[in-house]
Amino acid sequence: MPACCIVPPYILQSIALKGDKRQQAAAWATLTDSEQFRGGRRILTVLAPLASTATGTKRRTIYDARHGYALPGRLVRAERDPKSKDVAVNEAYDGSGATYDFFYRSFGRSSIDGRGFRLDSTVHYGVNYDNAFWNGRQMVYGDGDGEIFRRFTVALDVIGHELTHGLTQYEANLNYRDQPGALNESFSDVFGSLVKQFKRRQFSRDADWLIGEGLFLPGVQARGIRSMKEPGTAYDDPLLGKDPQPGHMRDYVRTIDDNGGVHINSGIPNRAFYQLATRLGGYAWEKAGRIWYLALCDKLRANSTFADAMNMTVRAAGELFGINSKEQKAAREAWAEVGL
Amino acid sequence: MMRVLFERTGGFAGIKLSASFDSESLPPRQARRLEKLLEDCRFFRLPVRLEEAAPSPDRFLYKLTVESRNCVHTVHAGEGAVPAEMRPLLEWLTAAARRR
Repeated sequence: MPACCIVPPYILQSIALKGDKRQQAAAWATLTDSEQFRGGRRILTVLAPLASTATGTKRRTIYDARHGYALPGRLVRAERDPKSKDVAVNEAYDGSGATYDFFYRSFGRSSIDGRGFRLDSTVHYGVNYDNAFWNGRQMVYGDGDGEIFRRFTVALDVIGHELTHGLTQYEANLNYRDQPGALNESFSDVFGSLVKQFKRRQFSRDADWLIGEGLFLPGVQARGIRSMKEPGTAYDDPLLGKDPQPGHMRDYVRTIDDNGGVHINSGIPNRAFYQLATRLGGYAWEKAGRIWYLALCDKLRANSTFADAMNMTVRAAGELFGINSKEQKAAREAWAEVGL
Repeated sequence: MMRVLFERTGGFAGIKLSASFDSESLPPRQARRLEKLLEDCRFFRLPVRLEEAAPSPDRFLYKLTVESRNCVHTVHAGEGAVPAEMRPLLEWLTAAARRR
């Protein structure tokens, strides 16, 4: 958007603070999109007060990229606006709302930064775009390719997954490579799945523990993209190949693809979480989720490995439920189950 | 003569997409289109690494090698660092690789 070169940043900042809803959105978008404000976390921290409101305020903004690549695109729905005729817009709005509600009600956390950071989503990104991602500031969703993948807003756990990438950026800020990257991915799957379970009020034993169920078009031999319960079994299809995820350290995949297999080896910590949640029973977000949340927010660091995740979740379980409590023992057993 | 090796990894699903194309075995119209797209983005002048400062979650990673009569060039590109003039080439290769 060329306005970034014409309107000085201090004016945009003023609009972002004082303008009406739409002006604020446009100013914020311009500020965060201009080259001088690139650089992720540091800048987000500087600008955070502009996007934050009082604790407990849910603010969502949905944009339409109209099949282009410019972000965020055209503003199409803001908080409390009526429903759109566009189903992807409503799914992104409702899904980011469900994710906000999950983190607020389960952990008392207001948005990804804990300070009401506005949740921006762009739909209809790119051409036949079969992906969703977090770009450091917002969520972005493609419409799928019309052959294998449907639109990515269709699955609530995908929305929860992307938003959790934002949260991780503000907390452990795990490097997106090798084991720290696989942990980053796994935390997104864990909380993405919990958003879905929370919305459905499902006990851990009744959940499907699939990521991206409903994302595939009919005819594709797939239950989902990943299985946290049985990594490696989500799909087996002539076109897609077979799900390559390991569920145990002995099958850890060494590769240079995918930033060191971050979407592959995440199967190992995913299964550890499933093991803990089903050992503890009840709602997975009440105990297992709290343990994982505490480790992500207060214990893990950018270069943490699987072994660190084991140690820190076991420690978190001790802090929350007591040393040698059944919860802490279950955490040890869960990691042992995956070879750690 | 031109050979193109295309590989896409990463993405939310982490499913690899790859294909190779040979201008001599492609239908002439498609071969001309591919050559035009390579010229449009000045492929042989692109840097070997087009990467973001830090990899972004769930974005695609591309590896593209082109061999012509007298040169070979490989570009590794992180999706967030792809220049606009390279987008049509990647869209074409992605669609063609899916059809294989």
